[in-house]
Amino acid sequence: MKFTGDIWLNAPRAAVFAKLRDARFFASCVQGVQDLNEIDGDHYTAVLDTKVAYLKFKFNVMVEVARVDPPREIEAKIEGTPLGIVGRLTARSLTRLTEDDGATKVSYEIDAALTGKLGSLGQPVLRAKAKEMERQFSERMRAAFAEPKSET
Amino acid sequence: MTPFELLEPASLAEAIALLDPEDSSVRPIAGGTALMLMMKAGVFRPRRLVSLRKLASLNSGIAIGKNGALSIGAMTPLAAVERSAEVARAAPVIPRMMRRLSNIRVRNVATIGGNLAHGDPHMDLPPVLIALSAEVGVVGPDGTAERRVAIEDLVTGYFETVLAKNELVSELRIPPQGGSRAVYIKVTTGSAEDWPALGIAVALEAEGAMVKSARVVISAATERATRLKGVERLLAGTSIDEKMLARAGDAAADEAECISDVRGSAAYKRELTRVHVGRALRQALNS
Amino acid sequence: MATSITQGGQAAPGAKVGGQVGRSLPRLEARAKVTGRAEYTHTMRLAGMLHAKIFRSTVAHGRIKSIDVSAAAKVPGVYRVVTADDVRKVIPSPYYGPAFHDQPILAIDKVHYVGEPVAAVVAADPHVAEEAVQLIVANYEELPAVFDEIEAAHNKTLVHEELKPAGTFADLKHLKGRKGTNVALDFKLRRGDVDKAFAEAAHVFEHTFHTQKVLHLPLEPFASIADWNESGVTIYSATQGPSFVRTEIARLLGWPENRVRIKVPYLGGGFGAKLYIKMEALATALSMIVRRSVKVALTMEEQFYTITRHPSTFRIKTGVDATGRITARKCEVYWNGGAYADVGPRVAQKSGFTASGPYDIDNVWVDSYALYTNLPPAGALRGFGIPQLVWGYESHTDMIARALKLDPIEFRRKNLLREGRPQATGQIVREVQLEAVLDRVAERLNWGKPLPAGTGALRRGRGVAVAIKAVIAPTTSVANLTIAGDGSTTLYCGTIDMGQGSDTAMAQIVGEVLDIPAETVRIVPRDTDVTPYDMGTLGSRSLYHMGHAVRLAAEEARAKIKAMAREVGEPEGSNIPLPDLFKKKFGMQAGNIVGTGTYKPDYVPPDPATGLTDNVTPFWMCAASGAEVEVDTETGHVRIARLVTAVDCGRPVNPKIVETQISGAVLMHLGFTMFETMHIDAGQVTNASLADYKIPAMLDVPQVMENEAVDSHLASGPFGAKGVGETATFCVSPAIANAIEDACGVRLTSLPLTPEAVFRALRVQANAPLEDEE
Repeated sequence: MKFTGDIWLNAPRAAVFAKLRDARFFASCVQGVQDLNEIDGDHYTAVLDTKVAYLKFKFNVMVEVARVDPPREIEAKIEGTPLGIVGRLTARSLTRLTEDDGATKVSYEIDAALTGKLGSLGQPVLRAKAKEMERQFSERMRAAFAEPKSET
Repeated sequence: MTPFELLEPASLAEAIALLDPEDSSVRPIAGGTALMLMMKAGVFRPRRLVSLRKLASLNSGIAIGKNGALSIGAMTPLAAVERSAEVARAAPVIPRMMRRLSNIRVRNVATIGGNLAHGDPHMDLPPVLIALSAEVGVVGPDGTAERRVAIEDLVTGYFETVLAKNELVSELRIPPQGGSRAVYIKVTTGSAEDWPALGIAVALEAEGAMVKSARVVISAATERATRLKGVERLLAGTSIDEKMLARAGDAAADEAECISDVRGSAAYKRELTRVHVGRALRQALNS
Repeated sequence: MATSITQGGQAAPGAKVGGQVGRSLPRLEARAKVTGRAEYTHTMRLAGMLHAKIFRSTVAHGRIKSIDVSAAAKVPGVYRVVTADDVRKVIPSPYYGPAFHDQPILAIDKVHYVGEPVAAVVAADPHVAEEAVQLIVANYEELPAVFDEIEAAHNKTLVHEELKPAGTFADLKHLKGRKGTNVALDFKLRRGDVDKAFAEAAHVFEHTFHTQKVLHLPLEPFASIADWNESGVTIYSATQGPSFVRTEIARLLGWPENRVRIKVPYLGGGFGAKLYIKMEALATALSMIVRRSVKVALTMEEQFYTITRHPSTFRIKTGVDATGRITARKCEVYWNGGAYADVGPRVAQKSGFTASGPYDIDNVWVDSYALYTNLPPAGALRGFGIPQLVWGYESHTDMIARALKLDPIEFRRKNLLREGRPQATGQIVREVQLEAVLDRVAERLNWGKPLPAGTGALRRGRGVAVAIKAVIAPTTSVANLTIAGDGSTTLYCGTIDMGQGSDTAMAQIVGEVLDIPAETVRIVPRDTDVTPYDMGTLGSRSLYHMGHAVRLAAEEARAKIKAMAREVGEPEGSNIPLPDLFKKKFGMQAGNIVGTGTYKPDYVPPDPATGLTDNVTPFWMCAASGAEVEVDTETGHVRIARLVTAVDCGRPVNPKIVETQISGAVLMHLGFTMFETMHIDAGQVTNASLADYKIPAMLDVPQVMENEAVDSHLASGPFGAKGVGETATFCVSPAIANAIEDACGVRLTSLPLTPEAVFRALRVQANAPLEDEE
């Protein structure tokens, strides 16, 4: 499963980069993230609680920031284990930031793989779910940068 | 499979009372052809299933009104709808499309209400019913007060509907079709019994080649069954010729938000849409 | 739909005409099956039996760091949770396989594909076991994985550190201990000088073809029940090869074979999936650990992780002279065998030597590679690799004919192997009706008359394909037959009736020899304690090999009847009823006559350096298919208007069963041709269910389907018969692809021939390739 997209934010690149490196902020943009726990600056664990209609899925998630090239690129590895069902979610994400006339374009590429029961039977549903989460992420990001610049 | 409670209420009110508005692990079950698959796969683990089996006799009638309006009880098996003379008269498109809806084993068991409430975007019935301007009656905990939901508004996403967790579909209603002619094209890219890669339903009210109104619905290739309103506007009040069919196809291809899956890429489904919207309109016009 | 069957074959001189062989006798077990009385392992229960469910790998290649079974073990009703450590306490070297001893009962140290069994939960209730499986947690150190067969051939990522050939097959022994390679077997055939011939050829063509991953999907998934104690083990199993299972379980346990008993009820389909060991070893290990009988019955989904057909890449190059004769053919075939060899190396070899097709070619070069990859294992599937080869060589042959503007049938006829000419291995070809099958298909398609090209967006076209297969050799079958004091006859033979009708055919052979109605012959349910050895129900070998063994057993019994009659003073040629004969001999209804038959044809192994031999097979089978299609050029949809298949199966023992074998094989391959494919993402099969992996159903049957067995009689066959299980599978795919090109000018070189693939090819042809969207 590959997801790619661009988000235009009305803020300078350095500011966007700093925000993206703030795990709490980042997690707040992803629907369903709970219990974020910072192990060190590059390793985090969290619980991802998500549902599709009346079907609920819960993952234990581990995020590793694999490579950082400030303020241009962030590469991360994500590993998730669903609870109560055999499976595994792995993903690599590459986020690139480019600045143009004071605004920043966040380009992301996520390559995710889902194995086990959810991978064999649930791909179409979870792909649709991921798309929805992707849309929400963009909205929340934009909303964060549309706010009056008091906190940054 | 973890143990769960299976209840078989004998009345609609009782059934609704047993549902839980807050708990998504409490579900009604009718034919069970979809829910059982989810349970077998382990993605759905119910705490309680409320079987509607005993409501079948109360709620599986098919009636046709004087004006040609059709009402079908929610517990009517698809196969009964398929074989109904009333349905054939009021909405001949339905028995025609039923033949390729899954297979006869499923149609014998699955119910019309369950089919609609399930909310899978690949279903064949919703696009047809949207084209026919159909609606469902929905009953909730406040007893007799029934609300009406257009099929068009029923499904909001994958398995997501506007129904509350303690609401049940009680009846499907199809308004009189007058001179309108409806066609459904199911396009599969695998076995003929596969889920569709694309479904196109149209209902056309026309005099000769002159279109009074058109309803054009796309499903399966998109996240949910959707009316192509741009195409409908384009067609309304025009005279259909080959050029107009091609324009309608192009407009549909532009308007549809196709998605990729194992049944085909988004780009290919867009091309299928372009072709089949024209074909469906031509069929409706010539039927 | 029109179907017809031509009853082919004249009886051999001296053989009885109008007897039991040649009758369209309804299948003997049909009533038991349609009334639900037939017994299957999947639905069988033993008293006190426990159920096992499997915890499977979620990584394609990785080192197992830990397996936490504690939560699963605490689930009420769970009897035991088992990992490889427990298995090794009862079976120290728990590796099995027909060609290589490479497959562990449960993963040891490493996992090699997504879906590999890693642990098992045993419980009294299968649902409890299933629930507990979900609570097992394994940690893996992920290793690089390789999925593609060509990539695997580069040996950059290794699936296994060392090759472990089983030693069962003499021609694999040289591979022992080989390291640093994914090539499980490299079969070579060298005949003449292809390079010289290419240099001298008027035309040289080269193409590459691919086949996808598909699977057998019998409607009864794998199921085995093992009941072990210190004195012996009884295994009830849905297997196509009880003798092999017995030998292999005995080896794993270090026991003599006579302490291992395999019982096989009817099978709900097999198609090659249920060959060799599947669930039997796990069931046995679990029964040893928990000391109860244990059933391992897989779900439909789990079949996708168990055994599949080989995906393949076939590079083929052909030289043709100015007169249209094929002078040279070079074949490089890469078989994607998945994580465990199963019988893959045998597929690479036993099918590899016919990669140049049913043609008379002086210079042939074949390299056939069985490769390990990190995918679910591949084995034998109805055709044993031949359909993948025919897909390549018959598409290629058609492309050559088109390029040279030769009639595709004439071009084939001109190059076809004729009686008395050597096949690529050097064996002189005899008694194979290649011309007849091609002629019959051409006739049925009205090849001489032009086909209307269609109107508007719908374009019509037709295509043919022809193919040959050697029956696998050398293999052995043994049969026993007893006649009781009342004259009733019982047959003991290990051929598994998995729906193909073999019991009925064997009964007809007994009936023919003993001159009794086939319906009166009882066939004992398969049980290795009583049924003698048989190599396996595979590769269309049973009717020939077991048919002979049964014939010999019946003939021995017949000779003993005569001897008994002489002994009791009956005159020569006496027709005394059997009960009277027994009474005369034993004084009452008592005693037995026992006949036995063993059959193993001659065989000369191929020279390891050249692959040449003058006796590679006891007989050849062949088939041709022809298709008429209508392509919707606006959507890429292909409608099959007519599908014609003619096979040479020797003399049909039961014409009605032959007809259903042909139609069944054709329809199965229609699915593999048109739409079936296992979608795989990061090693995970993403459509592992019948909801998302569709097989052909009634509405997919072509408008007209004609099946035919051509007149044929194999002198060395039992009553003139050859096998028929696979023959009709060979040609379906290329015949349809050839028809598609004829219809609309596009050539597809990868299966399946989906509407989207056709559509995309049409757009490329129109110079407007379909651009993918985000």
